[in-house]
Amino acid sequence: MTPRSPNGSGRVLIVGAGIAGMQAALDVGDAGYDVLLVERRPSIGGRMAQLSETFPTLDCAQCILTPRTVEVGHHERIELLTHSEVEAVEGELGDFHVRIRRHAAYVDWDLCTGCGLCQEKCPGRVPSEFEREIGERKAIYTLSPQAVPNKPVIDADHCIHFLRDRCGACAKLCPVGAVDFEQQDTIIEERCAAIILAPGYDLYRLEHMPEYGGGRIPDVIDALAFERLLSSSGPTAGQVRRPSDGKVPREVVFIQCAGSRDPQGHLPYCSKICCMYTAKQATLYRHRVHEGQAYVFYIDIRAAGKGYDEFTQRAMEDEHVIYLRGKVSRLFRRGDQVVVWGADTLSNRQIEIAADLVVVAPALQPHAETARLARMLGLPTDEHGWLLARDANAHPVESPRPGVFVAGAATGPMDIPETVAHASGAAAQVLKRFAARRDSSV
Amino acid sequence: MARIGVFVCHCGLNIASTVDVEQVVAALRGYPGVAVAADYQYMCSEPGQALIQDAIQDHDLDGVVVAACSPSMHESTFRKAADGVGLNPYRLEIANIREQIAWPHQRTPEEATRKAIGTVRSLVEKVRRNEPLAPITLPITRRALIIGGGIAGLTAALDIAEAGYPVVLVERTHRLGGKVAELASLYLTLEDGERILAERIEAVTRHPLVEVRTGSEVTDFEGYVGNFTVEITRSTVPDGDQPTNHPVSQSTTIDVGAVVLATGFDLYAKNRLVEYGGDRLPDVVDSLTFERMLKSGDIRRPSDGRVPQEVVWIQCAGSRSPDRHQPYCSKICCMCVAKQTIAYRKAVPESQAYVFYIDIRSQGRGYDEFVQQAMESFDVVYLRGKVSKVLRRNDELEVWGADTLTGRSMRVRADLVVLMMASVPSEGSDKLTRLLRVASDESGFFSEAHPKLRPVESLTAGVYLAGACQFPKDIPETVAQSSGAASKVLKLFAQPELASEPSVATVDEELCVGCGLCVPACPYDARELHPWKEVATVNAALCQSCGACAVACRNKATTVRNVTPRQVFAMVEALL
Repeated sequence: MTPRSPNGSGRVLIVGAGIAGMQAALDVGDAGYDVLLVERRPSIGGRMAQLSETFPTLDCAQCILTPRTVEVGHHERIELLTHSEVEAVEGELGDFHVRIRRHAAYVDWDLCTGCGLCQEKCPGRVPSEFEREIGERKAIYTLSPQAVPNKPVIDADHCIHFLRDRCGACAKLCPVGAVDFEQQDTIIEERCAAIILAPGYDLYRLEHMPEYGGGRIPDVIDALAFERLLSSSGPTAGQVRRPSDGKVPREVVFIQCAGSRDPQGHLPYCSKICCMYTAKQATLYRHRVHEGQAYVFYIDIRAAGKGYDEFTQRAMEDEHVIYLRGKVSRLFRRGDQVVVWGADTLSNRQIEIAADLVVVAPALQPHAETARLARMLGLPTDEHGWLLARDANAHPVESPRPGVFVAGAATGPMDIPETVAHASGAAAQVLKRFAARRDSSV
Repeated sequence: MARIGVFVCHCGLNIASTVDVEQVVAALRGYPGVAVAADYQYMCSEPGQALIQDAIQDHDLDGVVVAACSPSMHESTFRKAADGVGLNPYRLEIANIREQIAWPHQRTPEEATRKAIGTVRSLVEKVRRNEPLAPITLPITRRALIIGGGIAGLTAALDIAEAGYPVVLVERTHRLGGKVAELASLYLTLEDGERILAERIEAVTRHPLVEVRTGSEVTDFEGYVGNFTVEITRSTVPDGDQPTNHPVSQSTTIDVGAVVLATGFDLYAKNRLVEYGGDRLPDVVDSLTFERMLKSGDIRRPSDGRVPQEVVWIQCAGSRSPDRHQPYCSKICCMCVAKQTIAYRKAVPESQAYVFYIDIRSQGRGYDEFVQQAMESFDVVYLRGKVSKVLRRNDELEVWGADTLTGRSMRVRADLVVLMMASVPSEGSDKLTRLLRVASDESGFFSEAHPKLRPVESLTAGVYLAGACQFPKDIPETVAQSSGAASKVLKLFAQPELASEPSVATVDEELCVGCGLCVPACPYDARELHPWKEVATVNAALCQSCGACAVACRNKATTVRNVTPRQVFAMVEALL
């Protein structure tokens, strides 16, 4: 392998290390070019790391993702900067200057062995974002047991040492003395020749939807929270137990298009992936709770993909999931249940279901980072904040700015296989420009 | 004495909820040759791999058994980890206690645990007899073959050529452009499809590294990743179709290192939709026929040339119909209908458009809004329901259907009916499936290597998939995915050489009598008789270690490395 070039030619900056950013990084890295992969969270894997199983094969997400995260973590061409954010970019194709802020982890990652003792002993408990707040983490934490890199960070906002200048258990117990409360953010200046943006998506928040309880009813959760309930590495170790009282729910209502396809109240577009993951979640729920009953409220069932329609059919026929075509007008608490009022537009009847748990499939939105990145790089977005390609049909992975490419769900909702292919497409655009430059410089 | 390490993975709860992992570890401790046995929640994670690496170094291990998921998941992960600390990777074996034990035996955990112990012991017996092997290296021909000259093939060809590698693009017909060339306009912009196509065709045909061969087909194919030999034959009927022109057939053979399949799709034959009169009513047309009418600007009924005032589109014609036609959803038709209805309503303002649908599948940014626009701004009437039949009434058509929202049956009169036919693999895909030995699904679409994470690779190394030959896709998805296929080719060509699996069949030349029984037994054409030595030879690059040759061999001259009879007997003994 040739040494890294000091001026950043033949090197790509990839922002976001979800499945899109990781795929692009591996494609570029395996072709012999250098990658600087910057991720805001402490470890890589993105949204996919939060999923339990994947449709339509019901492969365990962690099982197929972990080889990728480990490969990225060990790749000799990929330099990983997690817990970091790109603050400024200047320059042009072939010569970008990038400023990156590496947030203080308060742990010296070079010393840390990832033994996990600090997390075990830390007394500070915090609702975990990774667990969609239905589970807890410690104030010193990694996102999951399979985190890459497997190095913890301290959440200063919830750490007893930072709040009250006491405790310090992690520092006292760390066998290698890696905890460093004095650590500061560091600013890193780098050069690169091209940029791939893969900041991904977020879910429209329950708080925006008073019709679905506005996030105030504990047993009305969003789809990612339900993924964590299904996940064997989640807060319930894969047992479906509802947040309020830990009871196994016997009747679960799934609500699709929550915030999607609603130009008056919320967002006008279809979020594309919810029909399939709802069918998957209803199926997995039935696998976990054999005597349970699942209901799905939908407008159209959008199962367009290889084996997708067949998968949804199996949910209906084999798992007896009841699909109800209609919108939910209202839900409210009654006793320890959540009553769902909806209309079945096929039979033209009003329906009332007393559910033990309600799972909402909220609209996808661009990740909050996207707007900042777009402003920083001068890239166009649509009115909802999705990154726009140079030409949707002809150049779907290129931004209008030369040398800046887009990958995955930051350009609009897409599922995992589409994201992976899209990200490889972005990698190809980088590779061919690097190759052309290599030839012209010889 | 062997020094073998045994590492048992919980896989979260996947294994540990059925198999008593601690009991497995306890049973292996003290087993002859086992120097260390340990368990961990996720052995594939970074700390899990570090645990194995540390043990290899601390205990000076000369063999490792990882009891975990299927070797197809993580064998390479763990072998890489072993290699990283100096243990020959072929001295590491996987005992599959997840797919083959924990999952199928969930109801009988005690027996599952017993089976797991036996399985791990048998792998210990195997690994202690494993030869340390070194990967075989192979050269790479850095030229790509693209099969199909539609938007997918053009995109992949251009990406590869612009990276500096030669490309041969083979197209069966006499023109480039595929289905996009037949489209009047593209959604969401309603722009002319010609623009993006013309730009790309021009770039491809002018590129010095692209050799375009239209009117040609792949007629023979052999070799393996990095080293394929392809016979390309120019089709028999020359352009112009002059009766005096005798069919010519001209074949050439080229070497390529990678192949991109971009053969696209066809429409399911209209005449199979007997229930909609597709086989007999002239004014029942398919979607591409209507697209051509829109493109020419001359929208007229085939029967009498009249401009149709009322048109009915029937979606899912042949799709989502597991009993009679295709079981799958063809993915692109919903958007295509919305586009056609808008274009029709613009072209014939005094008109009415109806659409029968099951579900409207307009998924993704801006797509639902586009369909809404058809309904609201162009007054297209969407009717949710399946059409039962289409009848002729004098010179008009009558569409019988049920509106599943109102529960009423209805009859809509129409001048023209457009059937949104299912997309099927393009004609000849089945031939390519056999020729290139790629897998395809039950509907004939080429199979990707993994439905989630390897969407552009086929199951055959060195053969990649672009566009609708894998499954129906619209243009943006096709173009992005074709670039994705190109990135795999670029990655392959960037390697200095290829490493190939060394645990292949070998022939003991002392024992081999050259009887030749093994040659037809090999399903991969990896064996032949040496021209003068009178022994069988193995092409290590083609051999897939299936062992068919070893079974066929009468005097045990052939064995598969690291699956020798001695090993298998020892494994069986450990299991019993």
